[in-house]
Amino acid sequence: MKKTIQVPIHNQFRAFYMFFVIFSMQAGVGILGTPRIVFLEAGHDAWISIILTYLYVVILLMIMLYILRQYDNHDILGVQADLFGNFISKVIGTIYLVYFSLQLLSILVTYIEVIKVFVFPKSQSLILGLMLIIPVVYTLLGGLRVTIGVVFIFIFLTYWVLILLIEPLRQIDFLNFLPIMDRGISDIMRGVVANAYTFSGFEILFFIYPFVQGKDRMTKPIILGTSGISLLILLSTTIAIGFLSPDQLQRRIWPLLNLYKIQTSPIIERLDYVVIAEWMMVVLPKAILLMWCISYIAIRMYNFPKKASIYVFSIIILVCIPFFNEHFVIQKLIDSTKYIAYGLVYIYPLFLLPLVVIKKRVQRKKKGKNHANR
Amino acid sequence: MRRRSTKQKNHPTFPLKLSELRQMLDSELINSQDLSFTVYKQANKKVAVFYIPYLVDQQKVEQLALQSLLDMQTEWTSDTILSEIPLALGKKDSDISSIIKKVTEGRICIYVEKENEAITYELAKSEKRGIEKAETESIVIGPQIALTESLASNLNVINMRVNIPDLAMERIDVGKRNPKETRMIYIQSIANETDVNTMRQRLSELEVDMIEDIHMLKQYILDSSFSVFPQYVSSELVDRSVYSLKEGKIVVLIEDSPLALIAPSTFFSFFESTEDRYFHWELSTFIRILRFIAAFVTILLTPMYVVATTFHFELIPSQLLVTLGESRAIVPFPPIIEVILLELIIELLREAGARLPTKVGQTIGIVGGVVVGTAAVQAGITSNILIILVTLSALASFSTPNYIMGNTIRLIRFPLIILAAYYGIIGLMFGICLLIIHLIRLQSLGRPYLAPLYPLRLADFNKVFFRLPEQYQGKRFLSYRLKDRRLFNRREATKKKDTY
Repeated sequence: MKKTIQVPIHNQFRAFYMFFVIFSMQAGVGILGTPRIVFLEAGHDAWISIILTYLYVVILLMIMLYILRQYDNHDILGVQADLFGNFISKVIGTIYLVYFSLQLLSILVTYIEVIKVFVFPKSQSLILGLMLIIPVVYTLLGGLRVTIGVVFIFIFLTYWVLILLIEPLRQIDFLNFLPIMDRGISDIMRGVVANAYTFSGFEILFFIYPFVQGKDRMTKPIILGTSGISLLILLSTTIAIGFLSPDQLQRRIWPLLNLYKIQTSPIIERLDYVVIAEWMMVVLPKAILLMWCISYIAIRMYNFPKKASIYVFSIIILVCIPFFNEHFVIQKLIDSTKYIAYGLVYIYPLFLLPLVVIKKRVQRKKKGKNHANR
Repeated sequence: MRRRSTKQKNHPTFPLKLSELRQMLDSELINSQDLSFTVYKQANKKVAVFYIPYLVDQQKVEQLALQSLLDMQTEWTSDTILSEIPLALGKKDSDISSIIKKVTEGRICIYVEKENEAITYELAKSEKRGIEKAETESIVIGPQIALTESLASNLNVINMRVNIPDLAMERIDVGKRNPKETRMIYIQSIANETDVNTMRQRLSELEVDMIEDIHMLKQYILDSSFSVFPQYVSSELVDRSVYSLKEGKIVVLIEDSPLALIAPSTFFSFFESTEDRYFHWELSTFIRILRFIAAFVTILLTPMYVVATTFHFELIPSQLLVTLGESRAIVPFPPIIEVILLELIIELLREAGARLPTKVGQTIGIVGGVVVGTAAVQAGITSNILIILVTLSALASFSTPNYIMGNTIRLIRFPLIILAAYYGIIGLMFGICLLIIHLIRLQSLGRPYLAPLYPLRLADFNKVFFRLPEQYQGKRFLSYRLKDRRLFNRREATKKKDTY
């Protein structure tokens, strides 16, 4: 396995698009249910948990960037191989592969569940899954440029639906947030932990880094991307807590969709239908990027042919979809994904950082000595 | 085949007697009954003049060639004839088979008996119509002059409008059996070199038998042959070609086709009309946005009707639902059949209108629309509201300035309708997602189809989605990486310089 990656120019993209990559990776279906999940742990102080999570994510991103910048055009697999050798790198790479597959499966399954609950109770999971997988495969066959293009354009076509939250926003009861800091630090921290699934996704930086053109201009789009999506999560949580009473909020699995029921327009009565359909354009970019990561790891570690890797993993995931029909099974899937995410996404970079720093310092000293000896 | 070639090798060669020549022509030419073969005498010299009458300009033959030949005072030899006859493009030729080929291409041939070579003159006449007003791309204001089937006159018309020295008009002959003259026109100091090379390579490497029209050529050199979307603009307006040249694009003309192919093109350039630049900028911005909304309406209106009436009644507010329910109450079909039926009727009317002569076509349109529509509602086959929607979406699709793009938009509606009928709003969304991904994947001459939206170039938006006052548009289309990006200095242009 080569450590440094040579990327042909037609496969690179401008650093500016990293904003959209990070933004869509952190979006997905998590945002629909976050308000309730955080609320269950942190109560009406959930918004503090979200801000804390956001700050932690920003720190993590800076660390990840720092690690990657110590090397020359490496992805995480190359970094690992440099630190631990090829075998351990392959093991961790495989864990990444499994994690991304679970992530992909969980978002598809969750979205299919949303469709089943709100729109088509009796529809076949397999067909809905097919309708989600086909665009993913079609995009990926076009190459990385098309992938980034889809991510970029779909964002503009979807997030206008958030404007429709204006009506619930106007009816917020501010008393719901008082008293501030009532729940204590431990509850708020548990809220932060509960956020792990929603906020995960930024780990794509470890893999997509070699493909970015103009790497020194990357910090700003990445931070802005994560800030943007965190702001949206914060906003939706705030509106949900402010608009719904605590009892209502606890009983609703996707509070965000319930909020849309309040809004009406002269032409369309039930906007939540439109939002659920539109949400396909939020789910797809994330699914596409996840599938890209999966096929990328498979190509790089196991020398899969490109097309085969896309087809094989798509079929595996498609076959798995019908087995996740019950809500508690899906919840279990999400939970197990979350546990891997704790280790792989939220702790692993912290563990890598000192190793990289020490290794680079030792290397530099060696070089210095060599120079001195001469 | 082989036998024939050996036979040709055994040709008698020059010098020949005139009677031998005559015999040989009769046996070699397939249409020898058309050949006009005349023999003239002067003192002891004999000359044969032969040509095919309907291929040459008869008047010129008589006035310029025959008259001066007979008036010659000097002795007839190949050299004297060549210098005395007041015609350019005279050529000596000693190979008989090439002479025969030239005669069939519309040259006249003069042969002095017992000389070693014959002389041919280019006097071909091709019938063509005069330059007329543009028909398919009708515009209200601005120059309306259109291209014609004659390449020479097209080159003339374009060259007269772009009178700069570095206007390149490269000639490439396309077609193996019947090569046709094709011209690739671009401005050297502006056009992107990669694009020019790509186009040149695609044209010169073409392995085809024969090309009838620019649309055939277009299909051979597409980036993606399986896409339903047109990837190059073709226009009959001279103005459009000239404007595109100035924007650094490549214009391709082919003999016998009244249209120019313009490459590279973006998806949005199919929604441009030359007229947009002649209107005041606020007005043309409004019209352009209207066109995009129209395209959107065409694609989504009837599928949304199917979605709402088949699965999601909840989508419709109760007031509207009552009206819709009343009008749909007597309709015996499910919405999908109702919609497909009516859409097909509209398509039929359009097709019939296009095939019939103009005057009859208009009548068919009105009569068909009004009579069939009203009767369908009264007979209870369709609902009133659907008639309105279908008519509206048909109307919207006709507002697309490019005829091919308009048809494409109407076509992609049908899969969406079917998807909507089977999987409701989710199926519709699936179709739209695929459509957008497809558009992102497309390329035109290797350039992204959705430029400047993706890859994003905000500076180009004023050329595509809206317009600025003309003085503020000092830059060319940046997405195409042209050699010369600036049209003029904006600061100088926006200064008002009235001194009196």
